[in-house]
Amino acid sequence: MRPFKFTQAADAGSAVQAVSFNAGAKFIAGGSNLLDLMKEGVENPTELVDITRLNLTQIKSAGGGVSIGALAKNTDTANHPLIRQDYPLLTQAILAGASAQIRNMATNGGNLLQRTRCSYFYDVAMQCNKREPGTGCAAIGGINRNHAIFGASDKCIAVNPSDMSVALAALDAVVKVRGADGKERSIPFTDFHRLPGDAPEKDNNLQHGELITSIELPKSNFASHSYYLKVRDRASYAFALVSVAAALELSGGKIKQARIAMGGVAHKPWRATEAEKVLIGKAATEENFKAAADAAMKSAKPLEYNKFKIELGKRAIVLALRRATGKA
Amino acid sequence: MASDTKVIGEAISRIDGLLKVTGAANYGMDWPIRNVAYAFIVKSTIAAGTITDIDTAAAEKSPGVIAVITHKNATKVVAYDPMRGIGILQDNKINFYGQNVAVLVAETFEQARAAARSIKVSYQNADSKTDFEKCVAEAVRPANRNDAVRGDFDAAFNAAEHKVDATYSTPIEHHHPMEPHSAIAVWEGDNLTLYSATQVVGGVQRGVATAFGLKPEQVHIISPHVGGGFGSKGGAWTNVILAAMAAKVVNRPVKLAVTRQNMFNSVGLRQQNRQHLRVAATAEGKLSALGHDTTQFTTTTNEFAESCGILATMMYEVPNSRVGYKSAAMNVIAPTFQRGPGESTGSFALESAIDEMAYALKMDPVEFRIKNEPPKDLSNNKPWSSRATVECLKRGAEMIGWKNRKPEPRQNRNGDNLVGYGVASGSYPSRQSPTSTLLKLARKGDDVTASVELAASDIGTGAHTIIAQTAAETLGLPMSKVAVKIGDSALPPAAGSVGSIGAASFCNSVADACNQAKTELQAKTDRKWLIAPTVAQLMDAASLNEYQTRVDAKAPADAAKYSSHAFNANFSEVWVNELTGMVRVHRHVAVTGAGRIMNAKTARSQVIGGCVWGIGMALTEESIMDPRWGNFITRSFADYHIPANLDVGTIDVAFIPEEDQFVNKLGIKGIGEVGIVGVAAAIANAVFNATGKRVRDLPITPDKLL
Repeated sequence: MRPFKFTQAADAGSAVQAVSFNAGAKFIAGGSNLLDLMKEGVENPTELVDITRLNLTQIKSAGGGVSIGALAKNTDTANHPLIRQDYPLLTQAILAGASAQIRNMATNGGNLLQRTRCSYFYDVAMQCNKREPGTGCAAIGGINRNHAIFGASDKCIAVNPSDMSVALAALDAVVKVRGADGKERSIPFTDFHRLPGDAPEKDNNLQHGELITSIELPKSNFASHSYYLKVRDRASYAFALVSVAAALELSGGKIKQARIAMGGVAHKPWRATEAEKVLIGKAATEENFKAAADAAMKSAKPLEYNKFKIELGKRAIVLALRRATGKA
Repeated sequence: MASDTKVIGEAISRIDGLLKVTGAANYGMDWPIRNVAYAFIVKSTIAAGTITDIDTAAAEKSPGVIAVITHKNATKVVAYDPMRGIGILQDNKINFYGQNVAVLVAETFEQARAAARSIKVSYQNADSKTDFEKCVAEAVRPANRNDAVRGDFDAAFNAAEHKVDATYSTPIEHHHPMEPHSAIAVWEGDNLTLYSATQVVGGVQRGVATAFGLKPEQVHIISPHVGGGFGSKGGAWTNVILAAMAAKVVNRPVKLAVTRQNMFNSVGLRQQNRQHLRVAATAEGKLSALGHDTTQFTTTTNEFAESCGILATMMYEVPNSRVGYKSAAMNVIAPTFQRGPGESTGSFALESAIDEMAYALKMDPVEFRIKNEPPKDLSNNKPWSSRATVECLKRGAEMIGWKNRKPEPRQNRNGDNLVGYGVASGSYPSRQSPTSTLLKLARKGDDVTASVELAASDIGTGAHTIIAQTAAETLGLPMSKVAVKIGDSALPPAAGSVGSIGAASFCNSVADACNQAKTELQAKTDRKWLIAPTVAQLMDAASLNEYQTRVDAKAPADAAKYSSHAFNANFSEVWVNELTGMVRVHRHVAVTGAGRIMNAKTARSQVIGGCVWGIGMALTEESIMDPRWGNFITRSFADYHIPANLDVGTIDVAFIPEEDQFVNKLGIKGIGEVGIVGVAAAIANAVFNATGKRVRDLPITPDKLL
């Protein structure tokens, strides 16, 4: 590990100041991803600003929905009564990720900022535009079984690894951040993460020094008809081949609102809006689920080793919808 | 007191358990050594070629760095092991991606690792062989390996009415013991002490002595506890040599641990195998021909081949068979022994093909196997010392509820899961290897204590405990009066904990030493006994407070007249999600006939371990090499998927009682290797029974079942 400065911030203002003033500085909370990346030499911050003493751990009702603090632990968030009752999709998604030990350390803000698990990104001997812009992408012509089928670019085909983010995308959460000027701004969840485009080094739309303070969950009518399905190579502690967050609001036998987001398929949590459109106003039937699944995967562009994700994605959507509606 | 001393076979917890759960057991890196420096290895980033330059200037100035060792300034050492010894910095040649190119020594581990990143290596690339698909096309029969032939395979296969002709693939797997490889090297003059966990104390001692031109007794290996090995700790890999070299260069003790990421290219692997099986049978279900052709890779510098076809030569009564091998040279870290070397991967292919044959014949696969049970070992015409395959199959069928199996696939459901049952049988040879034991007895009045000393190793499977049980029962002492000293090259030489020879070699030697002590003590007195005397009485009669004796034990002369193997049967019940293809082993049953079971608890644990790894082999484990460069992209446990708790359903283990009078005096067959043999095939066969899809390419990941 290279030497770095370690600063403990007493409040959000000083934390943001500290990172803003140093282009090589990073916030650290649970550290469950950043420390790994530092040991591998992927991240080499010159300063870590410890934010674990900040008072951002609340989970509380707010404006008809729930506000969850950036520093609340993943475990505490998943098991909080407000979340279990009103946002079971989020509980399922968080618990599908990582392991109990990691979830006990990981914070909600950190979960949103975890970096891709593309193995070429992790191996500093390999070319990677995300790690070192302009060096090329070893994954494009490599073993890209775990990579993107939506929204990739010729610079990067990595996927976002977070399960929690897939549920938050489906729930239309809003991320509140605080900047160097002391002002807060709100970023709709689907605009928080980025597609790689020409700048895959940027995972999200935060400015350097901006600190996530909370995630706002709007009032939801999905609690009784939602499901998070994760398909992976082993039953626990594996990243998604494909995951699906499905949430429906049913009224009079018809689907009034539908949300479908996918993980393991793109550089950001992927909202399948085409599938949602297919479902709205229709009955919750297997036939309509299949039509939605087909619509969701229509624009998929697979790579050499991940063609299976199209069929798997369709099946996962159907199964998630079945389970969301109590049909399996 | 009799109940205290009748301990062989009992379910006794490991006597080293308390040390381990309290952290008091010292593994390789745990020894508190004063003034120790830390070493870190730099790896090559090409698979073949030469180093043209290494720029170490920045690293040498890096904080805490004491020395930078490259091929330019390395201590001269002798090539000591063509398999394990590639990468000891003696020249500028690169044979595989991740070969050692430099060693940093610094005051702390972190300083050594940080400095390692500033070393710049320039290479001249040569054509590299890193694409298995391309290399297998050039595979040839190894010079030292003839086909094993019985009858006329081609004629019988061609004439047969019912045939299976299929190819099965298994990927590269890595051993990944919980304790990665490490060594602490301490020189005193020309004498070297190495604290380094190993399965074979004498093997590491000989390797290091050869490398440094020392007599074996100048190299002292200390390895009382081993955090798993599975074949990867069978001798001195380069990390041990480089630790000793670094300690010599900096003239102080050095610790060198292989990082988990570097375990992929430092201490061997299980090679990728492609196995072509051809099976023929009569309509009545008698096997008539069996062909098993294995193609695998080896390195460009060394030949190593897992014996995948060995089971095909002896598991079934089949008059015509041919078993052959081809290998292709690749630029890769050397393949080496890995749990059930040959048998575990071979059984996946053979037992899958047998299942396919039974299905084609519309026969129950358990009955099909029983129907083709051989009366003797047809590979060498020797009688079995004992063989419990049929009992294992029958008992296992009962335990798993085989009667619930439907012969046709996709007939058994539970919600959106398809349920299937599968079976496979297996075996692994049994052998006793030369092992010496020093027994020391000490008496205070009626109180006798024993110290049993041999250079055995305990790889976490319970060797300490079964040695103590053997000595206690043979001497008639409670186990608390027996001290076990192992894992030290200064002790009498012993077999390694490899190839399932440990239990038979250690325990027979220890029993011989104990019996010899009683006989010798008896000879020192003319006292007559109405009932068998205790050791205390014997020592008293001989007027001795201390006594010691040593035996050099080896296999009984008649053992070679028999074919001795442990046999097993595995049964699996899998649930496969019909939509996602995710497979869960809901229940697994392993029944083993392995002669005398020395400790019901540690034996059960060892078989469970085999089942868990077998689940990994079947469903999750695969080391993936990028064919462009020969690097592994599965460099951590996030990518190399060993089974998690949730992947492992209920595992039931049973042993068939067996008294084998021929294998060795105590009738011990060994269980370490056989525990994994057949597990993956039973699961794959269950997946077929569940889904109707025959996956011949491990691991069975969800995408293969869509």
